Amino acid sequence: MIFGLHPLLLVTFLPLIGFFIILFLKAEQKNAIRWTALLTSLATFGVSLAMLALFDPARGDLQLVYRTSWLRVGGISIDFYLGVDGLSILLVMLTTFLTPIAILSTWSAVEERVKGFMAFFLLLETGMIGVFLALDLVLFYIFWEFTLVPMYFLIGVWGGERRVYAAVKFFLFTMFGSLLMLLAILVMGLQVGSFAWNDLLAQRQLFAQTQLWLFLAFALAFAIKVPMFPLHTWLPDAHVEAPTAGSVILAGVLLKMGGYGFLRFNLPLFPEASLQAAPYMAVLAVIGILYGAAVSLMQKDVKKLVAYSSVSHLGFVMLGIFALTQQGLAGGVLQMINHGLSTGALFLIVGMLYERRHTREMSAYGGIWKVMPILGALTLIVMLSSAGLPGLNGFVGEFTILLGAFGSQVLNSPYFAGAATIGVILAAVYLLVMFERVFLGPVRVEANLSLKDLNAREVITLVPLLVLIFWIGLYPAPFFNLINPSVERLVSLVQGAAMLAIH
Amino acid sequence: MPMSYYLILSAAMFAIGVLGVILRRNPLVVFMSLELMFNAANLVFVAFSAYHQILDGDLFVFFVMTTAAAEVAVGLALMVAIFRAKRTIDLDEMSMLKG
Amino acid sequence: MSSAFTPEMWRSIFPEIGLLILAIVLLVFDLIWLKQPQMRARWLGWMTSIGIVLIMGISAGISMPQGQGSVEWGGMLRFDAAGFVFRMIFMSAAALTALFASQFEALKKRGEFYALLLISTLGMNLMASAADLILLFLAIETTSLPLYVMAGFLTRDDRSVEAGIKYFLFGAITSAVMLYGFSLIYGLTGTTQIYELRSAFQAGNLPVGLAELVIVLVLVGFGFKISAAPFHFWAPDVYSGAPTPVAGFLSTASKAAGFAVLLRVLQIAFAGQGSLWTVLIAVLATASMLIGNYLALAQRSIKRLLAYSSIAHAGYILIGVAADSELGTLSVIYYLIAYLVTNLAAFGIVNLIESRVGSDEISALAGLNRRSAGLGLAMLAALLSLGGIPPFAGFFAKLLVFAAAVERGLIWLVLVGVFNAVVGLYYYLNVLKVIYLHPPVEEKEVFPPTPAWRIALWVCLAGILLIGFWFAPWYSLAQAATSAIWIY
Repeated sequence: MIFGLHPLLLVTFLPLIGFFIILFLKAEQKNAIRWTALLTSLATFGVSLAMLALFDPARGDLQLVYRTSWLRVGGISIDFYLGVDGLSILLVMLTTFLTPIAILSTWSAVEERVKGFMAFFLLLETGMIGVFLALDLVLFYIFWEFTLVPMYFLIGVWGGERRVYAAVKFFLFTMFGSLLMLLAILVMGLQVGSFAWNDLLAQRQLFAQTQLWLFLAFALAFAIKVPMFPLHTWLPDAHVEAPTAGSVILAGVLLKMGGYGFLRFNLPLFPEASLQAAPYMAVLAVIGILYGAAVSLMQKDVKKLVAYSSVSHLGFVMLGIFALTQQGLAGGVLQMINHGLSTGALFLIVGMLYERRHTREMSAYGGIWKVMPILGALTLIVMLSSAGLPGLNGFVGEFTILLGAFGSQVLNSPYFAGAATIGVILAAVYLLVMFERVFLGPVRVEANLSLKDLNAREVITLVPLLVLIFWIGLYPAPFFNLINPSVERLVSLVQGAAMLAIH
Repeated sequence: MPMSYYLILSAAMFAIGVLGVILRRNPLVVFMSLELMFNAANLVFVAFSAYHQILDGDLFVFFVMTTAAAEVAVGLALMVAIFRAKRTIDLDEMSMLKG
Repeated sequence: MSSAFTPEMWRSIFPEIGLLILAIVLLVFDLIWLKQPQMRARWLGWMTSIGIVLIMGISAGISMPQGQGSVEWGGMLRFDAAGFVFRMIFMSAAALTALFASQFEALKKRGEFYALLLISTLGMNLMASAADLILLFLAIETTSLPLYVMAGFLTRDDRSVEAGIKYFLFGAITSAVMLYGFSLIYGLTGTTQIYELRSAFQAGNLPVGLAELVIVLVLVGFGFKISAAPFHFWAPDVYSGAPTPVAGFLSTASKAAGFAVLLRVLQIAFAGQGSLWTVLIAVLATASMLIGNYLALAQRSIKRLLAYSSIAHAGYILIGVAADSELGTLSVIYYLIAYLVTNLAAFGIVNLIESRVGSDEISALAGLNRRSAGLGLAMLAALLSLGGIPPFAGFFAKLLVFAAAVERGLIWLVLVGVFNAVVGLYYYLNVLKVIYLHPPVEEKEVFPPTPAWRIALWVCLAGILLIGFWFAPWYSLAQAATSAIWIY
C-alpha cells in the first residue's frame, strides 16, 4: 500500500491526476503545464519503483493483485482486475521511465498547443500502463483501445506534413485488428463465464476446439501492433509523421503492447494453436527481420531508417517468442526493453537534429561530429547498442534470442536463427552507413557549421537511457531474474500442451 | 358470401393502393391511393369482425378512419406550404434534398 | 369488463396525463405572451423541459410499476417496468430537445412547437406500453402526426417543408402497410391483444405462409420508425431538411419508440415464430449497417452523415434484437440509452454551429477546437462514443450487443458488425480530423450559446461518460425492463 492506495491503482491512474490538473491550467501557462506533466510522470516513475520494490522476483505468478467487481453482464462478472508478473513488470517500468524522458524532449520542440499535447500524453501513459496491468480481458480491451485516441491526436495534430493520413491509417489499422480480438474475447468469456485471465486459463479446455480461430483473432490484433510483416505498413508512416516524443513512445512502448499481448494471451490461452502456428509466425518474423533491414539500407531519411529498423528489431522479438523456449522468450522480453531504450534514444537523437536543421535527409548532414561532439559520441553508443555490439544491451537480447531459436524444438531448424543472423549483420551495415553519412567526414553543408551542441536538458534526456544500455549490456542478470520465473511457467505450460499433442 | 371474396377484394384494393403510391407523381392521387390502402385494411377488419363475432375489428375501423382523416389533414397542410413556395406539388420536383 | 376506475389505472397513465396538461399549459402561456416574443423565446423551452423533468420525477415516485406489472384499461395498456423505462427514455429526449431548441431562432418562440413535441412524446409513451393493437396503432399515429408537422415546421424554408412531406409520405405508406398486417393478425386470431396473440400464434393452426406475411407487413411499419434499411430512404432527406433539434429527436426518441414496439411485439406476440423473424431481423441489421455506413462515407453535410450513421446504428441495435435472448433485449435498451445522449449531443452541437456559421457542411466544423476548445472536446466525446471507443457510452453498448449475438452463436452477424464498426470509425474520424486538424475557416470565432443549450449539452456529456464506465444504474434499468418483457 502506498498512501493507503494499492500501488497498481496508483501507478495506473496517477497520470490521470496530472491530466486533470493540466485541464484546469490556462493554455498560456506553458511552463506550468510542462512542469505538471513532467512531475506527474516522474511521480509515476517513483511509484513504479515502489511497485518494483514490492514485487517478489522469485515468484513467477501474478503479484500485487487488485480485483474488484465492476459489473455483471448476464451473470458474468467483468472485474476491475490488475496484477503484475515477470512478463509485464519491466514493460511497466519501461513505460514510466520513457514517459518523463519523452516529455522532457518536447520542452522546446512543442511550442504550439502545449496544453493539449501534455494532456494527451498523460492520458496515453495511463492507457499504456493499464494495458500491461489489466488481467480482465474486457478491461484490457478498454485500455488497449484507449491508447489509440491520444496517439491519434499526437500524430494528427503535432505531426509532420502527412500527419492526417498517418494518424487515420494508424487508427484504422489497429482498430480493425482489435475489433476481431473483441469478438474473440466475447466468445471465450461467454463460454467460460468469466473474463478474468486466470479463469480463462484454468478452463481453457472449454474453448480448446475453436482455439485456432481465437488464436488468429488475437494474433491479428497483436501482429498489427508489433508490427509483423506484412502488417507493418502503417508503422513507417506513423513514425515519420509523429512528433519526436510520439515516436519515442510509439516505438518504445506502444509496439511492445503487441509483443506483450502474444506473451500474455496467445501463448498461455491457446498453447496448442501456438505450437501449430509457431513455425509460420517465425517465418514471418524472419522475413520481417530481413525485409526491415533491407529497406532500412535504402533509406535516405534518417527517421524512416530508424522506423524500418524497428520492423527488423521487432522481428527478433517475435522470433524469440515463437521459438517457445525459455531462452527465446526471456530474450524476447528483454529485447522489447532493449528496443525501447535504443530506438527511443535514436528517435530522440533524430529529433534533436531535426530541431536544429528541420530536415531528416541524410544528405543534408555530414561531419556533424566536428560541430556537435557530444551528440556524436552519444549517438555512437546508441547506434552500436542498436546494432548489437557485445557489451551493450542489444547484444544480450539478440544473442539470447538466437540461442533460443537455434535450440528450439518447435521450429526444429537452424535456418531461422541463421537467417536472423544475417539480419544482425545488415543492421550493423545500415546503422554504420547512417552514422558515417551523418556524423563523419567533412562538414559539407554550410548551415551545419553553426549548429550548437546539446544543451544540458538534452543531455539529461539521453543519459538515463545510456545508463540502462550499459547496465543491461554488462550485467543483465537482475533483469533476467525478474523475467525468468514467469517465463519458466509459460514455457512449462506450452511444453505441457506440446507433450499432450504428441501423445 | 365466403370470406375469401372479402379478402381477395381487400388484397386487390391494397395492391392498387401500393401501386398508386409508388407510380403516381401527383400527391393528391397518392393520398387517394393511401386511403385505398387504409380501407383495404378496414375491409379486412370489418369482414373478420363479422366472421369472429367479436367487435374489436369494428372498433378498430372507427379509429383508423379518424386517424386517416387526421393524416390527410396534415399532409394537405404540408402540400399547401410547398405549393406556396414552388407553385407546384409534383413529387418529382422535390429535389432540394439530394446528396 | 368492470367499469370502476382503480387508482392503478390512473397511475398507469400518469406521465401521459402530465404531458397533456403540460402541453395545454404551454399553449395557454403562448397566448398570454402573444405580444411578447422574447418572453416566449426565453421561457417556453425551460417550461417544457422542467415540466417534463417534474413529470419524470413524480412518476418515478408514484407510478413505478412493481413486479411483473399489470394490464390496465381493459387490456389496452401494459403497466410494467419496460414501459416505465422506455417512457423515461422518451421524456429525457424530449426534455433535452426542448432545451436544445432554444438555440434555434425559428423554433424557440413557437409554443405550438413545444406542444407538438409533448404530444409526440405522449404517443411514444403509449407505444411503449400498448398491449393492444388498437392502442398501438393509435399511439404510433399520435407520435407520427406531430413529428410530420415538426419536420416541416419551417414553412418559409423549402427544405424543411420538403422534409416534412417526404417524412409524411413514407410514414403514411408504411403505417398503412403495417395496418394491413394488423388487420390480418386480427383476422387470423380474432383478437387484438398482443399478449393473447402469443398463444394464438403458437397454437400452430394457422394457414402456412400467412404468419410469415403478417410478420413482414408489420416489420415494414416498425422498420420505418427505426429507420432500418430498406425502409430508410426518408432519413437522410428528413434529417437534413428538418430543423436540427427535430432531427435529433427523430434519431433518438422516435427510433427508441420503434424499438420498444419491436421488442414487445416480436418477443411477445411472435415469440413462437422466433426462428423466422430472427433471420429477417438479422438481414435488416446487415443491410442497415452496410447501407448506412457505406453511404455515410460520401457525405459532405454533417446532418446527412449523422442520418446515415443513424441508419447504421439501427443496424447495430438490430443485432441485439436478432439475438432473441434476455441479454439481447437488455443490450438493445442499453444501446438506446447510450445512443440517446450521444446523438443528442452531436445534433446539439451541429445545431449551434449551424446557427452561427449558417451551413451544415462538414467543412463548417473546421478548426472547431480552436474556436472553442470545449465544443471540440464535446464533439470528440460524441463522435468517439458513436464509433464505440472506450471509455465512452457507445463502447459498452456495442460490447453488449455483440456479446448478445455471440451468446446465441450469431458470429457472422457480429463479424459484419465489427467490419462496419471500422468503416463507421473511419468517417467519424474524418469529421474529427476536420475539427481538430484543419485550420479554422475564420479566426477566433466566439459561440455564445444560450444557457439552456449549455445545460442540455452538459447533461448529454455527463451521460456519455457515466454510461461509459459507471454502468450499474443504467444496467439495472435495462435489466428491469428486460425481465418485464421476458417474464412471459
